[in-house]
Amino acid sequence: MDFSFLSDPRYDVLGAFWVTVQLTVWSAIGAFILGVVLAAMRVCPVPLMRGFAGGVVNIVRNIPLTLIIIMMSQVIANQLGLRLATRQPGVNPQAFLDTQNFRLAVLGFIIYTSTFVCEAIRSGINTVPPGQAEAARAVGLTFTQVLGIVVLPQAIRAVVAPLGSVLIALIKNTTVASAIGVSEAALLMNTLLENEADKFTAVFLVIAAGFIVLALPTGLVFGSLAKKASVKR
Amino acid sequence: MRFRTIASVVAGAAALALAVSGCSSSSTPSESSVASAAQSVAQSATSKVASAASAAQSAASSALAGATGNSQVLSSADAGKLVVGIKFTQPGLGVKNPDGTFSGFDVEVAKYVADKLGVDPSKIEFVEANSAQREDLIGKGQVDYIVATYSITDARKEKVNFAGPYFIAHQDLLVKSDNTDITGPEAMAGKILCSVTGSTSAQTIKDKYAADVALQEYPTYSDCVDALLSGAVDAVTTDDVILAGFAAQHPGQLKVVGKGFSNENYGIGLKKDDTAGTAAINTAIAAMIADGSWKKALEDTVGPSGYTIPAAPTPSS
Amino acid sequence: MTVAGPSDGARPPMISMHDVQKHFGTLHVLKNIRLDVPGGQVVIVIGPSGSGKSTLCRTINRLESIDSGDIAIDGVPLPAEGKGLAQLRADVGMVFQSFNLFAHKTILQNVTLGPIKVRKMSKKDADELADSLLQRVGIAEQRDKLPAQLSGGQQQRVAIARALAMKPKVMLFDEPTSALDPEMVNEVLDVMVSLAREGMTMVVVTHEMGFARKAGDRVLFMADGEIVEDGTPQEFFTNPTSNRAKDFLSKILTH
Repeated sequence: MDFSFLSDPRYDVLGAFWVTVQLTVWSAIGAFILGVVLAAMRVCPVPLMRGFAGGVVNIVRNIPLTLIIIMMSQVIANQLGLRLATRQPGVNPQAFLDTQNFRLAVLGFIIYTSTFVCEAIRSGINTVPPGQAEAARAVGLTFTQVLGIVVLPQAIRAVVAPLGSVLIALIKNTTVASAIGVSEAALLMNTLLENEADKFTAVFLVIAAGFIVLALPTGLVFGSLAKKASVKR
Repeated sequence: MRFRTIASVVAGAAALALAVSGCSSSSTPSESSVASAAQSVAQSATSKVASAASAAQSAASSALAGATGNSQVLSSADAGKLVVGIKFTQPGLGVKNPDGTFSGFDVEVAKYVADKLGVDPSKIEFVEANSAQREDLIGKGQVDYIVATYSITDARKEKVNFAGPYFIAHQDLLVKSDNTDITGPEAMAGKILCSVTGSTSAQTIKDKYAADVALQEYPTYSDCVDALLSGAVDAVTTDDVILAGFAAQHPGQLKVVGKGFSNENYGIGLKKDDTAGTAAINTAIAAMIADGSWKKALEDTVGPSGYTIPAAPTPSS
Repeated sequence: MTVAGPSDGARPPMISMHDVQKHFGTLHVLKNIRLDVPGGQVVIVIGPSGSGKSTLCRTINRLESIDSGDIAIDGVPLPAEGKGLAQLRADVGMVFQSFNLFAHKTILQNVTLGPIKVRKMSKKDADELADSLLQRVGIAEQRDKLPAQLSGGQQQRVAIARALAMKPKVMLFDEPTSALDPEMVNEVLDVMVSLAREGMTMVVVTHEMGFARKAGDRVLFMADGEIVEDGTPQEFFTNPTSNRAKDFLSKILTH
């Protein structure tokens, strides 16, 4: 098989996967934070907050990711004018464009992935015995403290493994960023397939191998982390 | 004898399959001569029905009838049915309409070629052939030929045969109608240019004309056109005839700059090494250009955008 | 021993409940509860299961809401959900049947959490307080273990230390020994007896008749959501007035 494109300076395979990693890391951090907030809202005593968070989760979760990412670019940025980077006049707008697209993609991934994080954590909350929250309330903690100090830490420890699955899905989902021109691994693959049509199989193998290299250790790390984090009762 | 038993079983099976399905998709040069013989028998049987149905079979097709054993497209044509790959979302060239019909210049070419091969255009089954899938569709025999803004390149010639060119397109720029500063590829410096993911056309502009151009990629040209209409990108680049199709979709809002550069030879892709089929399609293309159908088809499809119909190419033979 | 009434001196009762009603669906679990507990009194709540005794205990710090009526702690009516209620709960210690220690925190952290987060005590002061309380309940050397590593009796003693760390005005015990193996019951009851002797106001829902006799100032007998008898342990155990109390006592004291 012909892997000559690997040494072709036009195709930066490592650089493309580095963008994939960056997309994953920023999106994962954001999605975790937003997911925890959404989960907290879904179990809070205020019906309006519960309803709002439930609505957001059920709507976002059921929209195809490609649609969300394209909407981020075509609707949120192009139609509604959201700017996540500044375009300096007289300078090559490529840097502006790259930053803008990268951030739009990350924002889209955060919104999408947070709904899955939220649902995972919510199922974790159900594994925490109600007595834990009662004891925390009896000590005099406020609702936010009960959730933040007692319930969520135990809930999150219970769902480390499912959160690992969400992260692996996120790694693979970052390929959708190519839909708005973020130069990650899938975009490089499209370019390679267009220019090196005769090396079809080799291109697929290289890109697939790259994702396995990223995802496989993630699964292993989260597997052992889940064992360590689990709460003994 | 043992060999004869196997051979007759194979032949019988092949004949049965052909008779039932009414089309051939399994003929490759490497198959045994026995199977080919069986195929010829079956073909002559179906040919009779086909010729009875369409009395006006073309001269080209009958002249090449002897070679159909190795040609998927000619075998299919003899069976009276063709599977043709086109684009479904390329305005003016290949479009699947909401009512299920197909229109566009590529569709007209596909129909004309089918007619010349002796197949009624209503017997064509159109399937979607996206850019990345084209070689695969042909290689696996899932389509008889592809007419889908398919540029003839050396890399592609390694995998498929090309008939044509039936059209020579030039890379060009699509801009808003009121734009005055983008006069050609050199004027793209400091501007944002849109093209589809994986396409080399934008890279060409960056490499040859304006190093300071910023490139935005979207999955489809429709996305690029949306971004152009909203002002997020300054221009869209690809082949002029494709851009003309989009301009025709948004009358008064978009225009093709008209400073075409580079030549893109659109060919009809078919199975690798199918020389007989390639020759038959080349004859059909020549006929289409000669009898004026070619020009009329262009005027009907991309003409409304104000696109100037270029001179016809000379198909290789 | 005398049972102090609501008019006892100028101080308001430590716990006062007036006309408290509560339903679970169609079930009337608390019927017209009237109760005043003066400071320092140890009240034992006894009754058959389903009589509403646990619910009564849990309404006092509003872990269970009530349908109507008033409850006040040290003269302050229970506020609705929110910061005010949290502050008031901090003054009411609670010990549960199933211990409910925070499973992901060490023994020390279980005790210091309230003082640090609610009383805004420094970590150093809270640690010192916790160490002295753990010393008192006899598990100082377990301070860095997790709850799951302790026996039930030890966990319940930690739970008492956790409640005491808030320096509560009142301690509520909701069947604190019911989930314990028999050999661990006494280690918990001993701690409770010493608390009672120090003058802590306590409401204890329990089946431990020995403890009731030894430490109790007052016994409430509940049945079907009502307080049926209210008197000293002496009166209750030797001379119950109602048939239901007699029936209940005959069942638990036959062995």
